[in-house]
Amino acid sequence: MKRYPPPMNLHRSAQKFLDLPLRMKFVLSFLVVILFGGLLSLFFGIRLEHRTIIGLAQAKVRHDLASAWMVYNEKLNDIRDIVLLNAGRDSIQAALLAGDRETLFRSLVRVRRDFNLDILTITDRFGKVVQRTNGSAIFGDDQSADPLVSRALRRETATATEVVPRSELLKESPEFAERAYLRFIPTPMAAPRPEDHEENGMMLKGAAPVLDEQGKVLGVLYGGIILNQNYEIVDRVKEIVFKGEKYKGKEIGTVTIFQNDLRISTNVTDAEGNRAIGTRVSQEVHDAVLLRGVPWVDRAFVVNHWYITAYEPIKNITGEIIGILYVGMLEKPYIDLRNSVMLTFTGIAALCTLILLIILFFITSGITNPLRRMVLATNRIAQGDLNHQVRIGFRDEIGQLAHSFNQMTENLKLANENLIQWGKTLEKRVEERTKELRGMQDYLLQSEKLRSLGKMAAGVAHEINNPLTSILINTHLMLEKLEKRHEFYENLSLIADETSRCTQIVKGLLEFARQNPPQKTHTNINELIDRTTQLLENQASFQNVRIVKELDPNLPAIKLDRNKIQQVFWNLLLNACEAMPKGGQITISDSLSADKKSIEVRFTDSGVGISKENVNKLFDPFFTTKSSGTGLGLAVSYGIMQQHDGKIEVKSELGRGTVFTLTFPVEDHQPESAQKGGINE
Amino acid sequence: MSSHSKRRILVVDDEITVCKSIRQAILTEEYEVEMALSGEEALKKDQEKPYDLIITDLMMPGISGLDLLKNLRETRPEVNVIMVTGYPTIKTAVESVKMGAFDYLPKPFTPADLRGLVTRAFKKAVEEDRGKGAAAGSQIPVGYYYMLGHTWLKVEENSRATVGVLPDFIKTVGIITQLELPKVNEVVTQGNGCGKISDADHFVHRIWSPASGLVIEVNARLAADSSLLRRDPFQNGFLFRIQTSNLEEDLKGLLQAK
Repeated sequence: MKRYPPPMNLHRSAQKFLDLPLRMKFVLSFLVVILFGGLLSLFFGIRLEHRTIIGLAQAKVRHDLASAWMVYNEKLNDIRDIVLLNAGRDSIQAALLAGDRETLFRSLVRVRRDFNLDILTITDRFGKVVQRTNGSAIFGDDQSADPLVSRALRRETATATEVVPRSELLKESPEFAERAYLRFIPTPMAAPRPEDHEENGMMLKGAAPVLDEQGKVLGVLYGGIILNQNYEIVDRVKEIVFKGEKYKGKEIGTVTIFQNDLRISTNVTDAEGNRAIGTRVSQEVHDAVLLRGVPWVDRAFVVNHWYITAYEPIKNITGEIIGILYVGMLEKPYIDLRNSVMLTFTGIAALCTLILLIILFFITSGITNPLRRMVLATNRIAQGDLNHQVRIGFRDEIGQLAHSFNQMTENLKLANENLIQWGKTLEKRVEERTKELRGMQDYLLQSEKLRSLGKMAAGVAHEINNPLTSILINTHLMLEKLEKRHEFYENLSLIADETSRCTQIVKGLLEFARQNPPQKTHTNINELIDRTTQLLENQASFQNVRIVKELDPNLPAIKLDRNKIQQVFWNLLLNACEAMPKGGQITISDSLSADKKSIEVRFTDSGVGISKENVNKLFDPFFTTKSSGTGLGLAVSYGIMQQHDGKIEVKSELGRGTVFTLTFPVEDHQPESAQKGGINE
Repeated sequence: MSSHSKRRILVVDDEITVCKSIRQAILTEEYEVEMALSGEEALKKDQEKPYDLIITDLMMPGISGLDLLKNLRETRPEVNVIMVTGYPTIKTAVESVKMGAFDYLPKPFTPADLRGLVTRAFKKAVEEDRGKGAAAGSQIPVGYYYMLGHTWLKVEENSRATVGVLPDFIKTVGIITQLELPKVNEVVTQGNGCGKISDADHFVHRIWSPASGLVIEVNARLAADSSLLRRDPFQNGFLFRIQTSNLEEDLKGLLQAK
């Protein structure tokens, strides 16, 4: 199952790279750089090396070719010396002069054998063969057309490589013709030739004149060796130049003599290990060397291996190119050398890369480790550990970053602490505010309750007013008509009284409901308390009650409706009194609040106390625990305190007593008018 | 008006029970008391045969007590009107006095309260019949504020004011047997009682305060000699002095002598 990569693959792989750890990125980047640089230098290095090695090899092969020429020419010189020396022998001169073929034959055969020549022939002064030395009976044929012979006839000694036609070979010996005869072995890349064989031979040939004492030409002695299938030169060259070196069983150096383009003497072997005579040179070399007459040095595929080769033309006496001398070195050792150098080079490069990577690893460790520590630190900080500090000992960018980071953490910690502190105070503040709000809410609730109840009360009171009026009037009318002794008089009186009380209740209700604006004047609250208690002292219900006053003499005057506040005091004192049927103590105390913004007046009794459920209903209108109350006293008091922007609060404990606390706001400094409005005039 | 003929009184209230009760309370041989259950009926009856005194409830559906008063003041200014009022309508009651009502009485009340008022109303009528030109001393000094037929208010510096009783009121009371005044530091409210005067017939007449405030001084000389009320009503016969608390508003409910 093949999955095609999505079109955003590149982007994704780029993303993948970006997601890699920093160290990997470093390593990959370095690797890319190294590989790129390495491959580039490897590529150019190899090329350079190749060129150098091959260049060296070519220089060597050129040099080897020169050596081959030396051997070749030495051979020619040998031949020259042989013909020259023997042509000067008296016995030869005498025998030629005398026409003594027998003697000539005996002398020359020895020479030919001694010097290992193929041919040694002597002619008369016209160039006609006198005696051959290969046992051939043919003589008298004219050799004066031969360029070398003709030169010798002109008293010159000449040596050269010459092509010898088959007819001439046959004259010497059929064996030579046979050696020269070579059927072409089909060779790839060879230049096409109409023939399919070679029958002429090629020989190193020398000719010297035989002179008499006067220096007259008596004849010519010529001789040489046939190169076809004669391996002396090539093997000698190989031996001298390459010293028989082998490479993996192969001869390193090869030498060949071509007749035209045909290998006639070589130590290049074919696949079977035979000398590869009969094969031909490639067209390329053929064209360069044979046609253009220039040396050719390059690698070439010779028979079955690549060689670094040098070819130079072999010319005959007239300067005509008749063959090629070739020297070749097996390329493989050089290629192997190059390869091994390349391998070594690559190996060293790889090793260097590895070492670089290791170094890089440590270098990046120096970079990434602090970073990793920083990342760890940020993680820990993210998890809330603000005490964590990054310790990096050096002062580079990362060190600076760590320093800043630590500072930042420190600040964060401070900020966090502040925040926590703030949060704590906030909590406290919220708590306070909630309490305040709850208080406010309670207060509003109570106010709303009072308002709606007040409305209802007003309605009820108003409606009840008319029946009350009728009852009151009629009761009084009846009372007016009755004698005091009448049995119903007392009952009616009671009705009249109770109706009056109803009137009072209704009045109270209406007062409560109406909440007419308070008439505020500056008042010394202590004096108001004094006045109220004075009024009470005459009341029968206060007989067993002791009133203790703990008043702060330095309270500022505050604006309030004296009548209404007195009513509040009155209500509280009456309530306290009624809570203590067996007598007790009422403590009235007042004080300025710490912030000097309010005055508190507390009424503390030692009475029976109020149960919890009742405390909540205490300020509700018509709530009463007394059999004879209207249940409006505290509700009205509450309303009055509200009108004064004050508060009334109660704390009670069953069996212990009750504390009512009144709070009055203190207005901003108006002490003078308070004095003026004072009650003591 | 013949002294032999009975004085005619009309009681107006939308509640028959109240009407009847009031009628019962004031019904004597001297008075002929009739009832009306609405302002419309009252006007109609008065047109048919005029009354000497009309006692009307302030709050009634249709033509209210105040409308009735206005109508009567325009057509028959000589008729006395007493307003009966519920407690929350004191302000309206004061307003009605300003408009010319003889007096008002907050509900609920006793027969005695009402009788005292009715007596006073008729005394006033008699006074008016007797001497059309009032005595020079009864002239209210210029600048004084007053509740018609009741009390005066002399505004002083620093929101203070002196309160006294108008001669007209004293005249309707007759002989003063007892005078009850507020104490220093007591709070008085406009339109509410601030004192009581008892007469020879044991009627108790409430004095309505012309303004709200705190009593700062009570005329001590009155305790010794209540006749000062009659002899020097605007100076030495004052009742008390107050530190007013809502003067500006209060003055709107009062008349000013020119």
